[in-house]
Order: sequence, then structure tokens, then C-alpha cells
Amino acid sequence: MTGHSAVPSKSDAATARLRVAGNREAPLLVLENVVKEFHGVQALKAVSLSSHPGEVHALVGENGAGKSTLMKIIAGAQHPDSGEVRLAGQSLTGIDEHTAGQRGIGMVHQERSLVPQLSVAENMFAGRQPVRMGNSVDWKEMRRRADALLAQLRAPIRADTLVGYLSPAQQQMVEIAKALSLDLKVLILDEPTASLTVNETEHLFDVVRELSAQGVSTIYISHRLAEVFQIADTVTVLKDGAVAGRSSVDQIDEAGLMRLMVGRDVDLDRRATSPAGTGTPALELRHLSSPPRVRDASLTVHAGEIVCLAGLVGAGRTELCEAVFGVRGTAGEILINGEPYRIGSPADAMRSGVGMIPEDRKSAGLFLDMSIAENLTATNLGAVSRLGLVSRKESRKLAQDFVERLRIATPNIDLAVGQLSGGNQQKVLLAKWLARSPKILLVDEPTRGVDVGARADIYAVLRSLADAGTAVLVVSSDLPEVLTLADRIVVMSEGQTTGELQGADATELAILELASIHVHSDGSQS
Amino acid sequence: MTTATTPAPTRSPLPEMPVRVIKRVGLTLVRNRPLLLVILTIVLVLFMSLGHREQFLTTSNFQAVLVNAAQSGILVVGMMVLMIGGSFDLSIGSILALSGVVSGVLIVDHEMSILVAVLGGIAAGAICGLINGLIVTKIRINALIATLATMGIFRGITQLISGTGVGIITDDFARIGQSVWLGLQSPFWLMLGIAAAGSFLVSQTRFFRQYYFIGGNERAARLSGIRTQRMILIAFILMGTLAGFAGVLGAARLNSAVVSAGIGVELQVITAAVLGGASLKGGEGSVIGGVLGVFFIALVANSLIILQVDVFWQNIIVGLVLLVAVSLDRWKQVTSA
Repeated sequence: MTGHSAVPSKSDAATARLRVAGNREAPLLVLENVVKEFHGVQALKAVSLSSHPGEVHALVGENGAGKSTLMKIIAGAQHPDSGEVRLAGQSLTGIDEHTAGQRGIGMVHQERSLVPQLSVAENMFAGRQPVRMGNSVDWKEMRRRADALLAQLRAPIRADTLVGYLSPAQQQMVEIAKALSLDLKVLILDEPTASLTVNETEHLFDVVRELSAQGVSTIYISHRLAEVFQIADTVTVLKDGAVAGRSSVDQIDEAGLMRLMVGRDVDLDRRATSPAGTGTPALELRHLSSPPRVRDASLTVHAGEIVCLAGLVGAGRTELCEAVFGVRGTAGEILINGEPYRIGSPADAMRSGVGMIPEDRKSAGLFLDMSIAENLTATNLGAVSRLGLVSRKESRKLAQDFVERLRIATPNIDLAVGQLSGGNQQKVLLAKWLARSPKILLVDEPTRGVDVGARADIYAVLRSLADAGTAVLVVSSDLPEVLTLADRIVVMSEGQTTGELQGADATELAILELASIHVHSDGSQS
Repeated sequence: MTTATTPAPTRSPLPEMPVRVIKRVGLTLVRNRPLLLVILTIVLVLFMSLGHREQFLTTSNFQAVLVNAAQSGILVVGMMVLMIGGSFDLSIGSILALSGVVSGVLIVDHEMSILVAVLGGIAAGAICGLINGLIVTKIRINALIATLATMGIFRGITQLISGTGVGIITDDFARIGQSVWLGLQSPFWLMLGIAAAGSFLVSQTRFFRQYYFIGGNERAARLSGIRTQRMILIAFILMGTLAGFAGVLGAARLNSAVVSAGIGVELQVITAAVLGGASLKGGEGSVIGGVLGVFFIALVANSLIILQVDVFWQNIIVGLVLLVAVSLDRWKQVTSA
């Protein structure tokens, strides 16, 4: 799968360039057996990749496949444990972001890296401002160069505007202009269209094609597979930190790409087969919205059922849970046992029998400096109090009880929770809510950073909770987990629920398809 | 557990065991602040008794120390609740002066009854606390800036109301702060009552335990169903009310309300709270610790006077004590990490 033969590109200029580039010209950017490990987890396992001048190379893969790590290594933000990155034959080993920029590698981050309080021009030339004699910043020259670059992008943005006043799409343009201000050889775009409208996306593609014609090599990361076919010449699929496949875009279709992303024959004989609950759902959402992330979500969860909410990172699933739990404002209807329900705060939600286990257990879920007993007390102050006085005995009894029930590995219940392993922390978080016997439990990413053994325990706990009559809604980005755990799967994309899957229909492929549906600003889907 | 696993320094001049033991004892004391403070206080008393028995070890000296500590002792209860919740109040000295002046003016200029004057002074403090709390929880300005600003504002209002202050108020009013029981003036006994009540409430009740969660992790507390903003607002009102009470009591004890009352008291009270186990990031501390901290600082100040150290040194010493107390807190965190 070399794929650099006569590729019919979307840009004639780029095509011409590629034809030449094809086999004769040496690749511009080469990655050889790049390995990167984080805390014992291999994020990248000997990844190799090369890109020619003028080529648009798309990089796709599931969440956590290693795409962003790979990009950060190219841009000098992280260093590989082994392997090599070369630009035009020169090794980039050990360089930092600043040097990578000087060599012509520009990266547009997924997270914005602009300072809102400074002007567009200052942001574009941060740390590289043109200077006059005496090393003072040449403001006029900086503005002139910034304006010229913005004009090249046909972006209607003035160089002296403060970045904070710009829309997300305009900020994206500034990021790209910032990359252009380098002597650009390689442009890395990490999910560049996440915040762009259809028109802005088209415009961005024009810019990329123009850069290709000038010989710039672009690495393009996206979850939206349709875009890959619109803009890329070559596509590499990453899975679990390794290259799962590589092809020129005209020799593969969307389904083929998805198969590579999923990476194995999809097992149909998973769960997700229970009959749908009957009667009044315990939780029902009707056209729920909570701007900006949740735009139109409808779903039901019955008592005794585990419904998994699948989708890509940023699809609005976390925000949906937070909306139901009263953390953020909502429009649309929420019904509990068929009754309309108004919530203004988590305390209100808890009174209606709703519990939420947040995604980020360290910053939002646990009191790391406090003991297991105290952590359980936080959500169960009522249960361990008599006449308004907290009973230490009751609190300890509760903790002891759950340490045994959930098999939390700890020497004693007085240990600060921060000293437990990730899996055991997650169990404490689970216990905080199990002790309340919620009627509806929202669980956001129940096994992130949790080892395999604890994972199985957590699945068993959630299942027995459902068997005891709780309606459980689980947000998970881990597809095998979704298929193992769910009775029914609801998929979200860009703030909308795009479909529901059950039984034999529930496959990783089907989930991915629903999760990559593009929702236009008028609400229509494609 | 950390002390056991910490490797001994490679070239320690001491054998391994004593180093471990010293470290473990040190860590225990730093973690158990009330115990540490009791030991420090005993050491100080013994030291002073050795060299200055005739001035230091007298009933009248101890009476003076205890009564002088009453004001800070009342304030530290409110400050401790705030600090456990992860906040604090710099404006307490100004609230104290304003409340004293309000009660003085009500009696002298408006010929109100003593009861009305006392309640009026306390209400003024509560309103100041409410204002602080609203600024912090509704406008979301951090407590440092908010109470630094109101510290100036409340002091200014005090001066607007009374110029330099209210001279002699009335003997009936003075009785509130001057009557003696068991050889000690009323402020001491009132402080003892407030400290005992505060200690019980903060350590035992469901309502006040919520502050530990708020200070420990505000976001997690909110997601655990604790109404964090409302609780912080209540803590500021409580602080203002206690400062108002202390202000009225102070005015009664002197039988006059001075606009310069309570200047610098926030340094003493916050120092006492940190000595007593509070940390600036919240989630820790006890009322008993805070009150013992107040007594320790009062005793240090008293000792400096007896040792004939220049009075200007007192602020320097209190500031240094604050730094040492905070360093202990850092050491505890690093060592247990």
C-alpha cells in the first residue's frame, strides 16, 4: 500500500506535484519506529510514517489510538522514547517546539493555544516578534506581516484585534496564520474543523490545497471520515498506538476505513440484546438542549436497564449528563417516571433520586486528601447523621461495608483516597453513589485509567445495580466496553442523538457510522 | 506510612533509627495541631517561669493574657469556618470597629436602649459579612481582593459615622464588657462559650461538616449535592456577626468606641488559625486548634512585654510565626506525598 501513484487529488496543482513527488522525490517528513510510553502504557508502538512535499496525509483512528501523541512528537512538544523523526533528511531528535517551528513545522492544536488578552499579531508572532535596533518590538512591521498572512488566507480579521473578541472559527484562522508565519514546510492540523461551519470548512480546504501546491506537506487529523476523502491524498489508520493500515484515498472507501479503525472482526454476540424496558421510562429526555454542546438529544432509560451513550469525544455526552444533573442550564423536557422535572442544582437532582459519577474523578469526583469514610460521607451526610450530628461510627460502618462489597483494595478505611490506585479510586467514587441507592445513575467514563481486574468488578457492580432496579446511563468512548455493558446503545454526534442500536444491529461499525454523522447548523444531518 | 518507607539520608551523621523516630514524632505533632500547641504553650510557660517568675507567674498576668485574647478567640471561630471552606476574611478588623461605633452612636447620639445598641452593633457586623459573602459568591471576586476592598470601605464608613470615635458611652453599657466572674472579665467567658459551641458545631454537626468538603474539593462538593455558594455566603455572615459581637464587646470593655479598633487583628487571627491547623487551600483545621493558636500568640506577646522586647517587635514576631506555621503545612504535604 504505497499509494503515491497517480492519485486523483482534489487539487490539480497538488496532483501535479504529487505525480512528480510519487516515486522520484524523497519524502519530506519521515517517522521511523517511533515509540512513546506514558506511565507504563504504550501510547505509540513503533509507528512509521512518511509524507512527501505537497501531500495531504490524513491520520484517523479511534479516541486514544495515539494520533495526538504522534503529532506532538512531530511538533517537538514531546520526545519519543525511541525511533526517529526526520525533516528533509535532517533528524529532529531532541528538539523543542520553538526549534521545530524554526525548521518549518507548524501545528494547529486541537485545544486553542492563543492568549485572548493579546492582539492577533502578537499571538501570531509570540516569541518571534520582529525587532528593531535595540531589540525593541517593531510593532508596525509585525502588524504588516500579520495582515499580509491573514490576507493570504482571505480571513477578514484585523491584526490588531484582541483574540478574545474573535469567534472560535476566526481563532482557528489565526492559528493557521500563525503556522503560516513560519517558513512552513509541514503543517499539522489536529481536528481543525471541530468548531467550523460548512463554509468555513470549505474555505480551510482551499487554503490547504493552496499550500499543497506550494509544496507544503500537511498532516490532517480528523474524526470525520468524509473530510478525509475530500481533502487527503493518503490516509493512515492508527489503532492502539500502531499503524493498522495505510492507503491512498482512491483505493479505499469509508466502510473500509472504519473496518481498519475497529481492527478486528466485529463480535456480534455481545450483550445489547435485552428486550427494551417496557412501561414508563425512569428517565426520558425530549429534545433536550444545553448550549453550546448539547443541541437536540432525546432518549429513554428504563428501570433495570443499562443504556450506553456512545459517540466521539466532544459529542456532548458529558454535557448531557451534567444537564440532567443540574450542573448546567437546559431547554427541552426531562421526565422522571413520566413526571416533568425541573432541576436547578445537583442537590435538586439528588432529591429526585438522580446521581452522577463524573468523568474526572480527581478534580470533580473525589476529595483526594480525605479518607474513604469521609468521601462516602460527602454524599451520605443524611444517612450517617442523627439529629443533625454526624455519627463517626455510622460513617465508618458505611465505609467498611462498601470496602468489602466492592473489594476496594486498601489497608484501612482511614487512608487518604489520593493514595489508592486508579481502579480503587473509581470504586470509592462508585460507592459514594451506590450508598444512596439512586433511582437513576449517570456514569461518565466508568473505567478510564482503570486496570482490567477492577474493570470487571465495576461492570459487575453496574449490572447488579441495574438488576436491583436502577436506571443506569453510561457514557463511554470505549467501544468494546459499550458493547459489553449496554442493554441498548444511544449514539450522539455533535450535540444530537443520531441513533439507537440494539441486538444484532449493535456493532462497532454501526456505532462509528452514527457517531460520525455531521450535523449542520440548521440541525439537519449528513 | 511514609516515614517508614523514606530512605535514610545517605550520609546521615545519626543512626537510622533516631532519625526515623524524630521524623515520625515531628510529623505526628504537625498533624495534631492542638497537641503541638499545648506542648508549645507548656514549654513557653516553663521557660518564662524559670527566669521571670515574679512578673509572669502571677494571677493578674494570666488574667490579663486571657482577657486580651478574648477578642481574637471569638474571631478565630468564624475565621476557622471560613478557612476550612477554603476562604478567609481580611476585613474583620474594620467590621469590628464599625460595629463598636454603631452601638456607641446608637446610645450616645440616638439615646437607644442598651439592648438595641448591642443588637444594632451585631447586626451591622452581620450586614458587613453579608456584603462580603455576596461579593465573593455572586460577583465571584476572590476573597483576597473582595475583603481587602471592604476592609478599606468599612473602615471609611466607621470614620464617616463618628469621626474619631465615641468617647465615654455609659456605665450600663460598659458593664457588658467589664463585669467579673471568677476573677475574669466577661469577654473571656463569652469567648469560652462561643469557642465551645463553635468547636462542637464544626466537629460534630452535619451542617458544618459540609465546609470540610467544600474546602477539600469545591467542584466535587458541588457534584456531591452540597450547595457550596450558599454555604460560603453563610460562613461570611457568621464571620461578620462574630466580628460585630467582638466589636460591641470591645467597645463595652473600654466604654468607648474608637475608629482605630481592630487594626491588624486579621494578621493575628489568620496566624492563629494556620497555627491551629487551617490551610489556605481549605479542608483542614479545627476550632480548638484555632483557639489554642490565639492563646499561644497572646502568651508570646505577653512574654515579649515581660522580656522588655520593644513593642514594635510584636508584629514582626507574629508575622514570623505565620511563616513558620505555613512552612510546617508545606513540610507536612511534601513529607506525606
